[in-house]
Amino acid sequence: MDTLVARYSRPANLQRETYAEDQHDDLYNDNSPALSLKFAMPPVAQPSAWLRAATDDRSNPNCPIKIAHGTTTLAFRFQGGIIVATDSRATAGNWIASQTVKKVIEINNCLLGTMAGGAADCQYWLAWLGMQCRLHELRHKRRISVAAASKILANLVYQYKGMGLSMGTMCAGVTKEEGPALYYIDSDGTRLSGNLFCVGSGQTFAYGVLDAEYSYDLSEEAALELGRRSILAATHRDAYSGGFINLYHVKEEGWVKHGFNDTNPIFWKTKLEKGEFTNVTSSLD
Amino acid sequence: MPGFDFSNYNRNAALHARGVPLPKATSTGTTIVGCIYDGGVVIAADTRATSGPIVADKNCEKLHYIAPQIWCAGAGTAADTEFTTALISSQLELHSLSTGRKPRVVTCMTLLKQHLFRYQGHIGAYLVVAGVDPTGTHLFTVHAHGSTDKLPYVTMGSGSLAAMSVFETQWKPSCTKEDAMELCSQAIQAGIFNDLGSGSNVDLAIITADKTTLHRGFVKPNERSQKLKNYKFPRGTTAVLNEKVITKDEIGKYVSVHELESAEGEKMDVDS
Amino acid sequence: MAMFSQNPIMNGPNYSFAEAPKAAMDGLREHRFNPYTDNGGSTLAIAGDGFAIMAGDTRLTSGYSINTRYAPKVFKIGGTTSSQDDANILLSVVGFAADGEALQERLDSVCKMYRYRHGKPMSVNACAKRLSTILYQKRFFPYYVYAILGGLDEEGKGAVYSYDPVGSYEREQCRAGGAAASLIMPFLDNQVNFKNQYVPGSGIGHELQERDRVPLPRDEVEILVKDAFDSAVERHIEVGDGLQMMIITKDGIEEKVLPLKKD
Repeated sequence: MDTLVARYSRPANLQRETYAEDQHDDLYNDNSPALSLKFAMPPVAQPSAWLRAATDDRSNPNCPIKIAHGTTTLAFRFQGGIIVATDSRATAGNWIASQTVKKVIEINNCLLGTMAGGAADCQYWLAWLGMQCRLHELRHKRRISVAAASKILANLVYQYKGMGLSMGTMCAGVTKEEGPALYYIDSDGTRLSGNLFCVGSGQTFAYGVLDAEYSYDLSEEAALELGRRSILAATHRDAYSGGFINLYHVKEEGWVKHGFNDTNPIFWKTKLEKGEFTNVTSSLD
Repeated sequence: MPGFDFSNYNRNAALHARGVPLPKATSTGTTIVGCIYDGGVVIAADTRATSGPIVADKNCEKLHYIAPQIWCAGAGTAADTEFTTALISSQLELHSLSTGRKPRVVTCMTLLKQHLFRYQGHIGAYLVVAGVDPTGTHLFTVHAHGSTDKLPYVTMGSGSLAAMSVFETQWKPSCTKEDAMELCSQAIQAGIFNDLGSGSNVDLAIITADKTTLHRGFVKPNERSQKLKNYKFPRGTTAVLNEKVITKDEIGKYVSVHELESAEGEKMDVDS
Repeated sequence: MAMFSQNPIMNGPNYSFAEAPKAAMDGLREHRFNPYTDNGGSTLAIAGDGFAIMAGDTRLTSGYSINTRYAPKVFKIGGTTSSQDDANILLSVVGFAADGEALQERLDSVCKMYRYRHGKPMSVNACAKRLSTILYQKRFFPYYVYAILGGLDEEGKGAVYSYDPVGSYEREQCRAGGAAASLIMPFLDNQVNFKNQYVPGSGIGHELQERDRVPLPRDEVEILVKDAFDSAVERHIEVGDGLQMMIITKDGIEEKVLPLKKD
């Protein structure tokens, strides 16, 4: 076991190599880990400026490569644990690349991560974080704290600062020592702990509902409904959010999934049964 | 000269100087050709209109009337070719009325080049002008900047290289009408199949001293295939939130209604 | 003849300060490193109950020219021989052809090494994850490729995984990629996932029931693929010439090449 740990335990900054001459090493060399930290770089003086011109559709709408972006995510702490909710739309420019993205990433059975910004960045680095968390468990024979896990990720993205990573993620977990713990980490290197976060282009719409109705003493059922309703508000007003509502509840025993449901029937149910969304009318007079 | 409004010119020039790009030049995909034969001239064009990589019209007309015996094939910006030919057609008609003579192809070509030169290439019309007049059979090309050529066989548009390769291998001096038609048709088809900006059918016009024959869809090498499945939805497949029927009597509240006399009415021109 | 080329959706905004060149003011112009070409073309993949179909047109373009009328976009991955007869995974790539080929070769050699070391072929979900990391390793110098991976999962059901150029991926029932993706994908949403289709007479107003999603039989999926490409060819200039279709079932991979319009 120790050799296994040793193999994976070089600090990330030592594993990083700038050029990809030995890109094919992992074909022949048994020692390299699956998520090895070697990235091919373009042969130019300013790789990040080049990358931005080629892939950033906000600064260059005609960029050749459109990278899929994620959009509205939220998580909040309450007495019964943490609610994590997201939409499921991925957009590349004006194109809806997918309506079925899983933006809640299950790091392990008691830690969740959320995805906003570059879909690939979040998927890859949260999978990598899962690996680091497992290694921590093997080394120290106990589960990692949410604070430590989020710090690992924050340190990692900080090393890549300015290189063009784009992620706004939340780490949610419940541990014995910390209780329900929630952290926000983004690709600038920000790491914040807090009771309540909304991330993505639809964040303002979600905050609108969440801030108005939030209380720490919410019942489990009310908390789930608030998460759902906040995402619904965001999908309603933000063109870059939509699809399905992905709901999770994190407890000390681990997380529980509360469905991946289409927004359209939920919207009409909310409108017709609760009398909300009176801005939408279907009458013809 | 009426028609053009330059009131935004200075503003746009200032914006451009500050780095805002000008609207994209619409260099557009087309193949047009022309070929003289003994006794007349043939011009031909493909029928694809594109906007970016999307086919906007699968069967558009690129052969424009100028005078009964003078026709024009247009490549470049669609609106420019259409309006320039219409404008010159009108001027030529007035000219022939005041002189009492049949319009000449050189006159048409000169009017076109003078008009285009004045606008320094900003009118993006690339034309093949062909016709028969009392001085004989003529074939010209006119570029957007105003330069012209007089040749026995010509090609223009993005498919011009493909089409010219056919002329350069198969053209012979003094050919028959049938030879010229076949050659033009083959040249356009080279453009249709090898140039992405050109496609669909071959339109062809034959101009002789006594008549002009326009063959719309002279060759149709790209008929649409039959779908393998029927995509008709059963009635009621689409969700309807609400329904309201407005009867013919009620519609008078919203618009004015006029009953038409004729029972048949005119048929709308639709893409087949 | 560009009639509607001012359409902002087709070209992106025409007048935008965001597009203004940043260093061009002083008269100096930097020659940018531009390693990518868009080679056009389109791909399509649909998963069924006991099969997956991967398809792509065979035209390879640059600008208004056709470079070749037969360049396959769908590849067999992870066989033991160069003929790839015993391959169990399919990969389709569209975008920049050179990157696509490099990616295909890389994934193939990874799968071959896996087979050599473990004495068994790589499972589709393992290969899907591996492809994701291969793409992500070039996060700062991406493969300009929209990849789709297809095969049969551990239960023998058809599996399709779609990717963005830097490796974000997702398992889906169907996916269209490349130049005509925006033409084909809405058709697939309607005909494969039955989006916006309701059961006639199943209720009034909001009680109307959505049409049940059932996996389509193979012959029907083949028809959808052919019709989708026939339609794409009509309206997209970069799609045409040939339709390459690979069908993977428990009995192996079957390949078909059908003609498409060549204009």
